[in-house]
Amino acid sequence: MATREAGKKMIMLKSPDGMEFEVEEAVAMESQTIRKMIEDDCADTAILIPNINSKILSRVIEYCNKHVPTTGATGAAASDTVAPAALAEDLKIWDAEFIKVNRATRFDLIQAASYLNIKGLLDLTSQTTIDTISDNSLEEIRSFLSTKNDYLPEEEQTIRRENQWAFQ
Amino acid sequence: MDTGVPAFSMNPVMAEIFRQLGLDPDQVGGFFARSLSHTHHALPDPPVTADARLFALLPDDPVDRVSRLPDALLGNIVSCLPVKDGARTAALSRRWRGVWRSAPLVLVDSHVHPAGTAYAQGVASAVSRVLAAHPGPFRCVHLTESPLLAAWLQIVAGKGVQELTLVHHPWPLEIFLPSTFFLGMETLTRLYLGLGLCDVVMKTGDLDFILDRSPVLETLSLEGEMLERCLGLVSQSLRRVQIIGCSVGEIFVVDAPCLERLIQSGGWCPEDTDGNCTKVKIGHAPRLHMLGYLELDPRNVLEVGNTVIKAGTRVSPRTMVPSVGVMALEVRFGVRNDAKMVPSVPRCFPNIETLHIKSAKTDRSTGKLNLKFWHECGVIEFVRSRIKLLVFHDFRGGRGELAFLKYFCETASVLKKVVILFADGFASTEEAQSKLSSLGSVKRASETSTVLVTVPSDPQVGSIRSFKIGSGFSADDPFANY
Repeated sequence: MATREAGKKMIMLKSPDGMEFEVEEAVAMESQTIRKMIEDDCADTAILIPNINSKILSRVIEYCNKHVPTTGATGAAASDTVAPAALAEDLKIWDAEFIKVNRATRFDLIQAASYLNIKGLLDLTSQTTIDTISDNSLEEIRSFLSTKNDYLPEEEQTIRRENQWAFQ
Repeated sequence: MDTGVPAFSMNPVMAEIFRQLGLDPDQVGGFFARSLSHTHHALPDPPVTADARLFALLPDDPVDRVSRLPDALLGNIVSCLPVKDGARTAALSRRWRGVWRSAPLVLVDSHVHPAGTAYAQGVASAVSRVLAAHPGPFRCVHLTESPLLAAWLQIVAGKGVQELTLVHHPWPLEIFLPSTFFLGMETLTRLYLGLGLCDVVMKTGDLDFILDRSPVLETLSLEGEMLERCLGLVSQSLRRVQIIGCSVGEIFVVDAPCLERLIQSGGWCPEDTDGNCTKVKIGHAPRLHMLGYLELDPRNVLEVGNTVIKAGTRVSPRTMVPSVGVMALEVRFGVRNDAKMVPSVPRCFPNIETLHIKSAKTDRSTGKLNLKFWHECGVIEFVRSRIKLLVFHDFRGGRGELAFLKYFCETASVLKKVVILFADGFASTEEAQSKLSSLGSVKRASETSTVLVTVPSDPQVGSIRSFKIGSGFSADDPFANY
């Protein structure tokens, strides 16, 4: 395993399109999937991340870099001067900016977050979809999600009747 | 989260009963509404909110990317929707219907209130319909807005639930719950019971019964309950216990191998009105890391391994709990016998690094507590060589408080930081500066330590009464609200 200054362990992540990303082990371990690989000693050289292209993987790494708990000299100094609540607020603002991406990227990020098991990123990426569904009409939701209505008209009526309380 | 609770419409019979007791029914209703609002504020936020937070960009291509996501991911999304929006997705397409039926729902009763109906009544009938419509299991059921119906609880138990929050409305008190209810609790990981629910729902001993029947229960929060004289905790799974404002004489951790935090505050006894009365007794709790508030009343504070800890009690390995790292004490600095306990109690916890001291109010002051008092206590070893962070809560500028702080700064050699939080309502900068000016001249034992003087960031949200932090899963120190 490669190491760099300050004794921080580095991990190499490879995307299927042949790009390599060197990241700190702590950052990579934000992903529970990678954490498990490292803990099971399956991460000697480079870890190939299937199904996630370099563009998405670099965004995921960006997210993990931001969300890894701060430790070491700089981290301790930061937490001494900034209240935890303020840090959390900063992260929220950062997250809101981070997720301003087109829909294709967002769904790729959902899938990547799910595969890599990064709960915070999964919640964040799902949240925009959740917000789309909240407070919109069925027709609007279908068009947002590009979902085709495959119910027969009478079937849809039955479903609506069954859950009538939700349509009041 | 909106915590305003509307006043109750009391039925004429109840109103008459209160009138005969010499009470104004409207005032009684208002009192209950206020205490409920308080409880709602302290509740953990349900995992779903009804407010949209993020902005989604409009679709820029016609591909149905959603259909490429696996059902489990879509189920995760439906789980995060307010229950009404979730149910509507069933009508999107055949696939979404299956997703909805298998999604672990989050039912928060305040999310299902249909517009234009009488509030509690509307909530109640909506809850009944949701519970009937979904096959379960439920990820979270959060019922706080209307009187609870026994039938709901039976459905919930039958269909399975992970997180259950129940706050009872004071009337009607017709609820009757068979003890078999808790037979269905194998999946329960988090339980919150608020405001007198134990009285109504459970008989003595039922809490033991719940713990016994809930093999994966990790978080137990109780607020405003009348408990038995002694609450015994026996559980192989419990990790967090928070007991706030309950009437309980003794909390006895009998055998809780996974327990990490035990938070209690505001305990009271019906027969004893003099403040401190909840004793904490620790048996087997090898992972207990955070403990507080211990109320330093010499009559009953702490018992470890069957030894009552008093001022001057000699400690032995049997009376030590080495796992505790964060500890919170409530001290009445005006009461000499309280203060005398300060050196003794922490001796049982040889590894504490963070100490929270909450200065409690008292009407009866007994004797001056000056710097000399503390020096005469001898070397307080834990202060000298272990405490790295001291957080002093509810500072009011009293002489006893100042003397303690001075002593602490003079003595603590590994101290990194002192945080002084002002009591609510004591906050003008000049007043604070003048009170604390004498602290500046103290020669500190740890030259690298810093002193932070502040008001609590939000006395309501950050208060220890809040279950949001204490029962949460983060490693944050639940006593730290600055």
